[in-house]
Amino acid sequence: MTWRIILQLALSGLSIGSIYALVGLALVLPFKASGIVNFAQGEIVTFGAYLALILSGLGLPYLAVVPLVLIGAAALGMVIERLLIRPIVNQPEFTLVMVTFAIGFIIKAAIRLHWQDNTFSVEAPFVGPPLALGALRLNPAYLVFILSTVAVVAALFVFFGYSRFGKAMRATALDPIAAELMGIRIGSVFSAAWALSTMLGAFVGLLLGPVIGINPEIGHLILKGLIAAVIGGFSSLGGAVAGGLLLGLLETYAGAFFGATFKNLVPFGVLILLLLLRPQGLAGASSARRA
Amino acid sequence: MFGKRLRGLFCVAATLFVLSGQTRADEPGVTPDSISIGAFGPITGPAAYIGLAGRDGAIMAIKEINAAGGINGRKLSMTFEDDGHSPTKALAAVKKLIDQDHVFMIFCVAGSNGTLGTIDFVRENGRVMYVSFASAPGVTWPFARNMFRGGTTEVPRYGELYAEYLHDYLNATKIAILNGREEYPKNEGDALTAQLKNWYQIAPVKRAEFNIGDKDFTPQLLEIQGADPQVIAIFGNPAEAAIAMRQAKELGMNQRFFVGPTMVDQGLLSAAKQSAEGTSGFALIPLLPTSSNPEMKSWLAKWKQEYPNLPAGRPNTFDLLAYADIFVVADALKRAGKDLTTDKLIAALEATHEYRVGAIATPRTFTKKHHIGNLRLQAMQVRNGEWEPVPFESKRESDILKRYE
Repeated sequence: MTWRIILQLALSGLSIGSIYALVGLALVLPFKASGIVNFAQGEIVTFGAYLALILSGLGLPYLAVVPLVLIGAAALGMVIERLLIRPIVNQPEFTLVMVTFAIGFIIKAAIRLHWQDNTFSVEAPFVGPPLALGALRLNPAYLVFILSTVAVVAALFVFFGYSRFGKAMRATALDPIAAELMGIRIGSVFSAAWALSTMLGAFVGLLLGPVIGINPEIGHLILKGLIAAVIGGFSSLGGAVAGGLLLGLLETYAGAFFGATFKNLVPFGVLILLLLLRPQGLAGASSARRA
Repeated sequence: MFGKRLRGLFCVAATLFVLSGQTRADEPGVTPDSISIGAFGPITGPAAYIGLAGRDGAIMAIKEINAAGGINGRKLSMTFEDDGHSPTKALAAVKKLIDQDHVFMIFCVAGSNGTLGTIDFVRENGRVMYVSFASAPGVTWPFARNMFRGGTTEVPRYGELYAEYLHDYLNATKIAILNGREEYPKNEGDALTAQLKNWYQIAPVKRAEFNIGDKDFTPQLLEIQGADPQVIAIFGNPAEAAIAMRQAKELGMNQRFFVGPTMVDQGLLSAAKQSAEGTSGFALIPLLPTSSNPEMKSWLAKWKQEYPNLPAGRPNTFDLLAYADIFVVADALKRAGKDLTTDKLIAALEATHEYRVGAIATPRTFTKKHHIGNLRLQAMQVRNGEWEPVPFESKRESDILKRYE
């Protein structure tokens, strides 16, 4: 294997890893705020892609579609949280998990009712001929994946570190009762966390749709996002990003060295090994709650 | 004396009447006014484009047949089960259709993955299973009286046609194969590999695999790039193939693509776009729905009337295959006569010779020795974003039917 191939694989691994990282982030956000793992996150990706398809079909350019999809996804997240999650938030975790699974199934089934399983595509300005970096080839879309992940992480860092609402979310995550006693409206915090999370999921759909085509399985990423989040520790945003990138690289190199069978096997093997050696994940606190 | 003979005759007549009545009553799924067909295929999951189209094509044909008076005074009815492209779910679906719904026969619009899960059970059960799409050899080989394959052909035949087309028509000797790990695409890759060896004594320069749902093919493509093939044969679903094609172009790979019949369709073109230009493959139908042939246009108008709200990409190959195959079954059911039994249906199907519903379908032929309805595929190539027929005709004699002699 030449250096060119090794570097080409690294680029590929980082780009697909960026997608896993974004899904991982979208899983961690509501978990941090409300302790709930949203197993419908894959279908939120699908929702974002199909909303983009609808809006593109109306003749809107991609750059106009992006904010509209994010607003639509945020609205969906708040509706889900307010109508389906909050009324049962004190129920056993298993109940909550099943509800999020059901939400995912409903979204996907509703999409299939109209579009069935055909593949569609939308035009985006970042889909074009590959960029040549010496002997390496880089799809501009993959560059957008990587840069978007960096931008999202930076934005979240600023949001949680410096904004009043971000600090309120952190306080709620640490101790909701104390946060409420301090005057924080934790209902709003939960809603915002879900809105942020569904926006991130839909953003992944916006990125993936123009590159790999839109079909109901486009959001078949929940498992990978979950692994990214678990590797990262599930309570750390930076950890989820690191976990996603690591997973992307592991998967790509495992596929290249050992074939398609090992492409999925190696990352899961590493996950088990990591959890045995460091159950709290790469960046998680030792008291992190289990998903 | 006369009274005794009369009583004897009466007893014989009564026995015959009861026996004949029993035969009809015991034939599941057949009533004086209906014939029940059980169907299954994937209508959810990544292969749903097969099952949804198969179901809709079959239902449309059944409606037409019933509107024209049905089969010897009986109407056809269909009960459909989803197999999710899974062998275990497919087996559960077939068991339900046979044991609970008591259908007369099974019409299978599943892919090879699902179909394989049902074969042993159906062979043993004896109910007729007419397979419209699955090319897995196990459907028709070893020979079983109750198993029939319609629109598609046996996968080794794919291997023959692929090898001949690639080697003799495209003059390619360095061929790479990229196939999915599930049953159907793996079988296609195996068949091409075997036939390249049998007929031309060459082996693929590289063979790589992928998983359903993969979104990155860089590792496999870099391996293939290193082998410097003239043609890359891709077998799998359109969604994955489209990504692989786009990524191959991004990596600077200018080899021609060759794809299996599930991808000779609009679905691949809408997803792969410019990357699919020049790709060739074999279609299971003589005319694609986009053809300007008057018969196809007329069929398309009927289809759109039946399904006015279905999305782009439909109807596809599988709508057409299932539609045509229901007519093949209906033709045999008619010839099987009013006193319908499984044996009579098998005999009628085995007498089917070059039957087709029209120019939209290839002719189907079954004999007492083999139940492979179709050995013909149409070579196609993407030109200016559309699949167009290629003037390739197979010149080599097929070895497939020899083993049934």
